[in-house]
Amino acid sequence: MSIRVNPRFINDLVLFGAEDVQLCYHCGDCSTVCPHADEVYKFPRKSMRQLQMGLERKIETTLEPWLCYYCGQCSEQCPREAAPGETMMSLRRWLISRYDFTGIAKQFFKSRMTEVITIICFALLTGVFLLYYGYSMGNFHIYDGEGAFLSSSFIHEFDLTLGSLLLIFLAINAFRMWYFTMIKGTKIPVPWWLYLKELYLLPWHFFTQKRYSECESKRDPKIFMPWIIHLGLMLGYVIMLVLVMVFIERLQSGPAIQWQVHIFGYIATIGLVTGTIYFIRSRLNKTYEQYKKSHGTDWVFVVLLFFIVLTGIAQHIFHRTGLYELANITYIAHLMCVVPWLLRMPFSKWAHLVYRPLAMYFAAIRRDAITSRESLLKSNSVSIK
Amino acid sequence: MKNCRIGVYICMCGTNIAKIVDVEAVAKFVSGLPNVTLVRTYKYMCSNPGQEMIVQDIKENQLNRVVVAACSPSMHERTFRSALRTAGLNQYLFEMANIREQCSWVHDDTKEATEKAMAMTLAAIWKVELHEPLESMTVDMSPNVLVIGGGIAGMTAALELADAGHSVHLVEKNEQLGGNIARVDLTAPYLYSARDLLTERLTRIRDNKHIKVYFESKVINLSGYIGNFTATIQKQNGKSGTNHDPTEVHIGNVIVCTGYKEFDASRITHYGYGKLPNVITSFELEKMIRAGRIETKEGKIPQYVAIIHCVGSRSQEFHTYCSRVCCMTALKYAHEIKSANPKCYISDVYIDMHAFGKGHEDFYLRSSEAKTLFLMYEKNDRPVIHRAGPKDDCEMLIEVNEKLSGELIEIPADLIVLMVGMESRPDSAEVARLVNISQDKDGWFIESHPKLEPVATTTDGIFIAGTCVAPKDIPDTVAQARAAAARILAKISKGKIEVDAVYSEVNEDICSGCRFCNKLCPYSAIEFNEKEGHSHIISALCKACGVCVAACPSAAIKGRHFTDSQVLSEIDGLTQTIQYVEP
Repeated sequence: MSIRVNPRFINDLVLFGAEDVQLCYHCGDCSTVCPHADEVYKFPRKSMRQLQMGLERKIETTLEPWLCYYCGQCSEQCPREAAPGETMMSLRRWLISRYDFTGIAKQFFKSRMTEVITIICFALLTGVFLLYYGYSMGNFHIYDGEGAFLSSSFIHEFDLTLGSLLLIFLAINAFRMWYFTMIKGTKIPVPWWLYLKELYLLPWHFFTQKRYSECESKRDPKIFMPWIIHLGLMLGYVIMLVLVMVFIERLQSGPAIQWQVHIFGYIATIGLVTGTIYFIRSRLNKTYEQYKKSHGTDWVFVVLLFFIVLTGIAQHIFHRTGLYELANITYIAHLMCVVPWLLRMPFSKWAHLVYRPLAMYFAAIRRDAITSRESLLKSNSVSIK
Repeated sequence: MKNCRIGVYICMCGTNIAKIVDVEAVAKFVSGLPNVTLVRTYKYMCSNPGQEMIVQDIKENQLNRVVVAACSPSMHERTFRSALRTAGLNQYLFEMANIREQCSWVHDDTKEATEKAMAMTLAAIWKVELHEPLESMTVDMSPNVLVIGGGIAGMTAALELADAGHSVHLVEKNEQLGGNIARVDLTAPYLYSARDLLTERLTRIRDNKHIKVYFESKVINLSGYIGNFTATIQKQNGKSGTNHDPTEVHIGNVIVCTGYKEFDASRITHYGYGKLPNVITSFELEKMIRAGRIETKEGKIPQYVAIIHCVGSRSQEFHTYCSRVCCMTALKYAHEIKSANPKCYISDVYIDMHAFGKGHEDFYLRSSEAKTLFLMYEKNDRPVIHRAGPKDDCEMLIEVNEKLSGELIEIPADLIVLMVGMESRPDSAEVARLVNISQDKDGWFIESHPKLEPVATTTDGIFIAGTCVAPKDIPDTVAQARAAAARILAKISKGKIEVDAVYSEVNEDICSGCRFCNKLCPYSAIEFNEKEGHSHIISALCKACGVCVAACPSAAIKGRHFTDSQVLSEIDGLTQTIQYVEP
C-alpha cells in the first residue's frame, strides 16, 4: 500500500522550528557522523526525508527524534546547511503536539502570543485567588506556623491537586505515545516479557542521561558541559519537585527546617540556578550548535524557570531573615510562576522529561523484537533448490 | 635499384626496443645489405640530436633514401619526413619500420623478436628502394560557407563567418530561424530570456548582407571536396505548392547544425501521455508559460504539479545517454510555476540531479530553498501515473518507489510535466549521407576526435556543431558553433589548402568504365566521366585507403606511394628467413 506524500507538511513544520530541512539533498553525512544512528534506527537523514515528504502517519510512529540528544555534530557536518539537528528538535516538538490529545500543545508551539497570554492569565488568576484566600484565611504578617498567610497544609493540597491534573494529562499522552509507536509503529509482534526485560532502562536513562554523554564518543575534543549541566538541571528539578510535592510541610515549617530537607533544597537550587543561567547564556551567545536556533517555546521554558528559581530563592531569604511580609509577597509571585509552569508541562518541551526515557525504553524493546524475529527467520529458513 | 644510397637508423627508444631486440645485431645484419650506405643505432631517434644526425648524414654522405626502424609511423613519420625536407630531400623517400608496437612491446623472446625486427627493417629497405619523389598539390579554398540548420548554432556560426566578411549560405528547413530555442521561454540557470538571445541574432542576420538565408529549403546534393564544394539547395513545396528551381552554390566548407528532436513521450505507455489530458511534455509547458497561463486542460490553475525527469533518457529501453539539459530545465520550470502561482506545490521526480555546469549547483540549491519536493526513483523502476479517486484533492496520483526513503509512495498531481530528452533527428541519416559523415549508435554525428577535434569530421571541410553531435546546452552549442567557424576562418585565411601527395590515380587508358570502384569508395572520391567512359579520382578527397586499387578488375588504379611493386617487395622482405645467433 502506497503512502500519500504531503507537500504541505514541510510548511507546517516551520512553526515548530524546521526552517532549513528543504535544503537537504540526502548525502547522508549526518547519519554517518551521528554516534547514535545504527542499522535499526537510522537518523537524522531518514527522519529528514520523512519530513520533506510529509509522511505524518509515519513520523508519529517513529522513535528516532527522541533518540537524539542534539549534540549538533550533524548540523556542523551538513554540506547544505540543512540543520539536521534542529530538524530533529522540531520533530520532537511536533511529536509532543501529536501525543497531546487536547491540541493545546499545538497552539502553544504555533503561536507565542497564545502561549504567553495563557501564562499571564493563569498567573493573574493564581495571584488573585491566593491573595483572596490569604486575606480571608490567614494573616499577611505571618509566614509559617499557626495563622500563616498561606498555610503549608493548604499549599500541600493545592500542589497535589495540580500534580494529579498534570499526571492525568501526562499519562494519557504517554499512553498515546505508546500506542502510536509500539502498536501502530511496530509491525512485528512484541512479546510482553520484553517490556519487563528492558524496564530497568526507564530509571537508568531518566537519572543518568548516559546516551547524552555518548554523543561525544566520536568528537574530539569532547564537549561534556551541556550533558553535565542538563543532567544537573534535571536532577535539581526532580529533587525540588519531590520536596514541594511531598515535603512541603517540612519545608515551610518555621525557623527549624529539618537539615535533610535543607540540604536537598540547596543541592536542587544549585542545579537549577546553574542550569538556567547556563542555558540562557548559551542561547544568547549561541555557543554550541544546539543553542544557535532558539524556538520561542525554548525561551519561555528557560525564562519562566529562571523566574521560579529567582522568586523561590528570594522567598527563602526573606523567610530566613524574618521579613515575613516580603516572604509572603514573593511566595505569591513564586506561585504565580509555578502554577502556569506546572499546567504548561504536558503541552511543552518539558514533557520530554517523560517521553525521552520512555522512547529509549520502547526503542530497546522494538530492537529486541526485530532482532529476535530476524534470528527466528534465519533459523527457520528453508533453502529452496 | 641503382644509385640508391640508403641510410638506416635503428632506434632503441630508451630501453623500450633495446631490452628485447638486439639492435646492434639488427644494425650488423643491415649493414651488409646492398644499397645501404650507412647504419646507425641511437637511443632516441625522435630527439633533436637524432633528427640532426639524419640531416647531417644526408648532406655528408649524399644519402637519397632513409629508413628509420623505431615506433609507429602514426607517432613519428611526420617528424622524420620533416628531417628529410630540412636536408633538401623529398619527404616521400622515407620509410619506417615499426619495431616497437609491432615487435618489442609484443614479444618477450629476444631471438624471435630480433629476427622479426631484422625482417621488418629489411622490408622497409626493399620498399624504400622503389619509392619515388612525390609532390603535394595545393587547391584553392573557396571562402564561401554553407551552414545547414538555422538554430542557435547555425545562426551563431553564420554571423561569425559573415562578420569576417565571408559569404554564408544559411539553409533552414522551416519558415523561420531559431530552431528549438524559439520554443523556449527562459533559460537555466540564469533565467535569461531565450527570446532576447534570439532577437539580437535575428536582427543581425537580417541586416548582414553576407548572409543569405534559404527558408523552407533543403540541401539536396553536395559534390566536390574541401575548398571546392557545390551544393544544391531546393526550396521545398510549401503552402503555395509551386515547384522551385534548385539553386547551386559554390562553397569551400560546410557546417552541419541540424539540432535535435525531442523524445516522443507516448512511447512510454505507463506515463499515459496522449491518454491522460494533463500529462504534458516539457515543450507543451513552455508553450503555456510563453502564453502566460499555466493551467490544466479543464482551465484550472493546478495546485500540484509534478515534473518527471529522464523521459526517454538514461534507460536501456530507449536512450542510454543523459540529455544533459533537462535537469536544469526542470528546475527552471519549478521556478517559473512557483513564480506564476506561489501556492502551487511542485514535486520533482528524478533519477539523479545532474547539476554539472556553471551556476547549476547554485540553481539547484535555490530550487531546494523554494521547497520543491525532490523525489528519487530507480532508473529501471519508472513511476506509474493513475487517475485519482473522487475523494482526492488532485487529478492524478503518481506511484513510485521512492529511493531515498525506501517507501512506496503516491504523489498528488493536477498537471504532470514529462522532461522529454533529446534524440537525433529522423532525417539525420539522410544528412550524414549527403555530407559523407558518420553517425554513432544513437544517430548523433561523429566527430573526428571526441576530445581534440570536437567539431571536425573525418571528411575534410565538413564541420559539425551543436545538438546534432550530442545533447548539449546553449553555451556549449554556441561554443561549438564559434569553434567550427574559427576552424573554417583559419582555412580561408590561408587561401589554399595542401592535399597529401599520397592518393590513388586511375590509368584512364586501361580503365574499362565498369564503375566498381565508384560505389566502393568510402570517401565518395571517385567520379565517373560519362563522356570519356572512365572513372576519375578526386585527389583532394582520396584518403589512399586502397580499396579501389584492390577492387579494380583491370588493375587500372595505382595507389601512389603504395604501388604494387613497392608492396610486393616489402612482403618479400618480411618473408625472408633470417637467423639470429645470440651472442
